Amino acid sequence: MEDVLTEIPPPSRFFQEDLNNFAPPSPPLPSPFLVFSNPKPNEPLRPSLLIVAISSPSLYVFHQLSSKTLIGSLILPEIPFSGNSIEPSLGDKSCNIYTHNDAHDSSIIISVQCSIAAERSNIVAKLLIGEQIIPGRVLILDSVQSQSFRGKLSPDETFAFKLETSSEREGLDDSSLLKGINYFPSGSVVDGLAAALLGRCQMRNIKGTLCVLWPEFGGAAVSLVKSLLQRNVLPGLDLSMNADGVISWTKNHPFDSELYT
Amino acid sequence: MEFVVEKGKKPNHQCSTLLLPALSIGNVGQLAMDLMVSSTRAERIGFFDDPFLLPCVGNDAYGPQPQGQLALPLEAYDSSSNAVTLVQQRSPVVKGKMVEFAKNLADFAAATGKKHAVVLSSLDFGRCRNIDMSSGLQTYYLSSTTSDGTDDYCEQLGWKRLQEYNPTQRCWKYLSTLADGNALQDDNPFEDELEEEDYYPSLPFAALFSCFKAKGLKVTCLLCYCSEGDNIQDAFHLAEAACKLLGLSPSNFHGNEGNGWLIPYSWKTVYGPPPDMSIF
Repeated sequence: MEDVLTEIPPPSRFFQEDLNNFAPPSPPLPSPFLVFSNPKPNEPLRPSLLIVAISSPSLYVFHQLSSKTLIGSLILPEIPFSGNSIEPSLGDKSCNIYTHNDAHDSSIIISVQCSIAAERSNIVAKLLIGEQIIPGRVLILDSVQSQSFRGKLSPDETFAFKLETSSEREGLDDSSLLKGINYFPSGSVVDGLAAALLGRCQMRNIKGTLCVLWPEFGGAAVSLVKSLLQRNVLPGLDLSMNADGVISWTKNHPFDSELYT
Repeated sequence: MEFVVEKGKKPNHQCSTLLLPALSIGNVGQLAMDLMVSSTRAERIGFFDDPFLLPCVGNDAYGPQPQGQLALPLEAYDSSSNAVTLVQQRSPVVKGKMVEFAKNLADFAAATGKKHAVVLSSLDFGRCRNIDMSSGLQTYYLSSTTSDGTDDYCEQLGWKRLQEYNPTQRCWKYLSTLADGNALQDDNPFEDELEEEDYYPSLPFAALFSCFKAKGLKVTCLLCYCSEGDNIQDAFHLAEAACKLLGLSPSNFHGNEGNGWLIPYSWKTVYGPPPDMSIF
């Protein structure tokens, strides 16, 4: 029987490296960067609205959107291009940047179709907001992260929560981008790229909204995204699509492997 | 690291004491900070934008009814009536960047005129060599007042110096060198498995201690042993110790009933949702 005083401690809510000053840092990676088809040096893009789609349902919705034009891409050196198609495809590991072709507003849509490590999220958020792209308002669409959510998550329910920056909240009631959506419950957190983006908005005093939906994929979630966009964000947006096949597509496919590229 | 002052707020430079958590087993330091921020009704004055902190966001942690005020990974609060600035950290530090993170915090403290930093941290009970439960939960401390870490006031309060602090021990010396800026962490000579005696200096509180000390601030670490589980009581213990050290009395915290402690709203679900009773 091991000595309880000297045996190795049990697993912690922290990883061991989180509590070790001498843990070696991960090997440095080259910085990510933006490429545009029509770059204008020293002239940042200034959309009135920047939409960042991270969740599978939102990626699906925007992929179906015909009234958009590909203008650029975020390149992450650690994400290989192998397996990507010539034309944008839902199966690509990419982070494409589109303009939404609407005469009434200037919107940019970023479809984040690759997983971005938490450690890279801050640097990516800096690239996407506040330097080469300076939006008037930001909407981030992600899913509720079950590992960080302290409430009950039923697979039969569909719901959305929001978090807003101070400048978004300070506007008049009518001006809130996602009226009628409840705030994310206190005690739960959102992490990763979505958090980095909203945090960046808060730091830069930009109107920002993060909308997290549940479930993470499926027709009901897609319908909810459509409804939110058409009702609150881009009224009149043509999002007609075939809902069949939605159920089977998810951003993080369990059998995804570079062996088959 | 950049400190962003919240719109409409102004840091109170009379708050000469900085109270902050170190990441530690059971999140005890952070839970204690939650309790302190909530109970002192400290006012948020700003956030830190630090590249070494992993991102996270949430709804207001304190209440009484969260109205959507965004909570960020590293925030500063002022309790002007108690002359204390409180820092709360909600997410881990990027692997291998703890010392740099600690340096950034020390730079902030020095730049904003702080005189005393108090760090709250727990220690793994499985590492405790001298168990003495005769007088209940014991508070340990480490102070920059003397070279061996002792402090007369802490001794008077009945606390015990962390015996495992040895400034000549290799890892404590290395931390001190890093904090002084005389070494690069890339030259880490201890990449191989740490030995038993390296455990305490490897903990985040040690990085904060060394970096604040290197900046010329007085720093006191308040420590308690615990195991991971329901660590609320450990949080109370550390928060009470912090109050004793700073001469604060929770019963005098303005507007709070009972013993003065105000449980943060976010603690309602700190260990997850209640079990699904429908299965019965």
